[in-house]
Amino acid sequence: MTADGFQMLLEGAWITVWISLLAIALGVPLGLLFSLIRVSRLPVLSQIITLYVSVGRATPLITLVLFLFVALPAIGLDIDKYTASVLTLTLNTASFNTEIWRSTYLSFPKSQIEAAQAMGMTRGLYFRRIMLPQMFYTALPALLNEMTFLIKASPAIAVVGIVDLTRVTNRIASQTYEPLPPIIIAGVIYMLSIGSLVRLQRVLEDRRKRYASA
Amino acid sequence: MARPDSDPVLKALNITKSFGALQVLHGVSLEINSGKTVSILGPSGSGKSTLLRCINWLERPNSGEIYLDGEPVGRHPNGELMSDRELAAIRARMGKVFQSFNLWPHFTVLENVIEAPVQVLGVPKAQAIEQAEQLLQKVGLQDKRDVYPYSLSGGQKQRVAIARALAMSPRVMLFDEPTSALDPELVGEVLAVMRDLTREGMTMLVVTHEMAFARDVSDEVIFMDQGEIVEQTTPDRFFSNPETRRAQQFLARYQ
Repeated sequence: MTADGFQMLLEGAWITVWISLLAIALGVPLGLLFSLIRVSRLPVLSQIITLYVSVGRATPLITLVLFLFVALPAIGLDIDKYTASVLTLTLNTASFNTEIWRSTYLSFPKSQIEAAQAMGMTRGLYFRRIMLPQMFYTALPALLNEMTFLIKASPAIAVVGIVDLTRVTNRIASQTYEPLPPIIIAGVIYMLSIGSLVRLQRVLEDRRKRYASA
Repeated sequence: MARPDSDPVLKALNITKSFGALQVLHGVSLEINSGKTVSILGPSGSGKSTLLRCINWLERPNSGEIYLDGEPVGRHPNGELMSDRELAAIRARMGKVFQSFNLWPHFTVLENVIEAPVQVLGVPKAQAIEQAEQLLQKVGLQDKRDVYPYSLSGGQKQRVAIARALAMSPRVMLFDEPTSALDPELVGEVLAVMRDLTREGMTMLVVTHEMAFARDVSDEVIFMDQGEIVEQTTPDRFFSNPETRRAQQFLARYQ
């Protein structure tokens, strides 16, 4: 593999990382917001979220990114391939995150909520002070799991012309006629990215240990 | 506590509550005057805890009225339900101690005690901490202020829960079987704290199975069975001379 090839690999890796991180950064809070709308049973809005989750979880990433890339310009909304990609990954991961947050919310101990109510806390206050800080740690393993799925599924965005970490290996191989080295290096980079997420999870879980006996 | 004794701090009128087809409360009324301790006794399933939950509206009664210092709880006089905010404001004036403590595990002991005064009442943090330290001293846990609840025994947790409720300077304290989840050797430390509170003139409504506490500490005993108040009298008369057959049978099981 040439120095040029390395350069291309790093550029591909950067694309994968920033697009994935952006989608994660948007998709986690968005999932929380959607889950709250769902559990609030607001008429119409809550049904829309339910429908969105069903469709979002059932749609392959390639289908979704092609759809956004083709359909949005057709109705007059100009969208570049990067926006389409971030939007695709965000919408996909948010639909899974909605369900993660929702189950975390629903399994929150009723006894703690009652104590907060009895102390005169309003819904917004006890959600922010009592529920959310604990829900974060409860949801963490499932959220991180979903993040790793997102990174591993991200090569789908290449279909609209983005040269991500997987796509770039093809490019390099077509120049060098040696497909194996770039693929192996790309694999290692994926493993390192996911490994650092797992590492982050461990650090955060250590912080939780200060108040949990286990 | 400038109010005359004749004005009840807490008043419940004709409370009814059903869970589906099962009617748990059949029109229960009670009053507590300032500084009094009232114990509610009765067999399991008699509706004692449900009554207590209705009083601060953790359970919405089907009908009936509740007043704290003459102000309605849960429903406006015109029958309209209170908003979350209005309900919270009135609940803030009633302390509640739960059977299973219900401390917030992500907060230290001190943080549990100052949370509501700071967040709900807007007490400055330094002042809330000072008050919390006094309360923790009162319940004998000043050395536990910086530990998390998981490391405490049941009796210690319950004493923190009492301090947490007291930190709001409530008009009345509601105790829902505060010692029922405790190992027998830990019951005493919690009852001792409750005895001190009675002596200091706190107004208390206590659902309990501790007959000795009810007999020695309360000003009045309410005996409930099958969702209604069967006897309401002084502890002396209730324990020495229960009038109804149901109360006699109940007491026979504790002797």
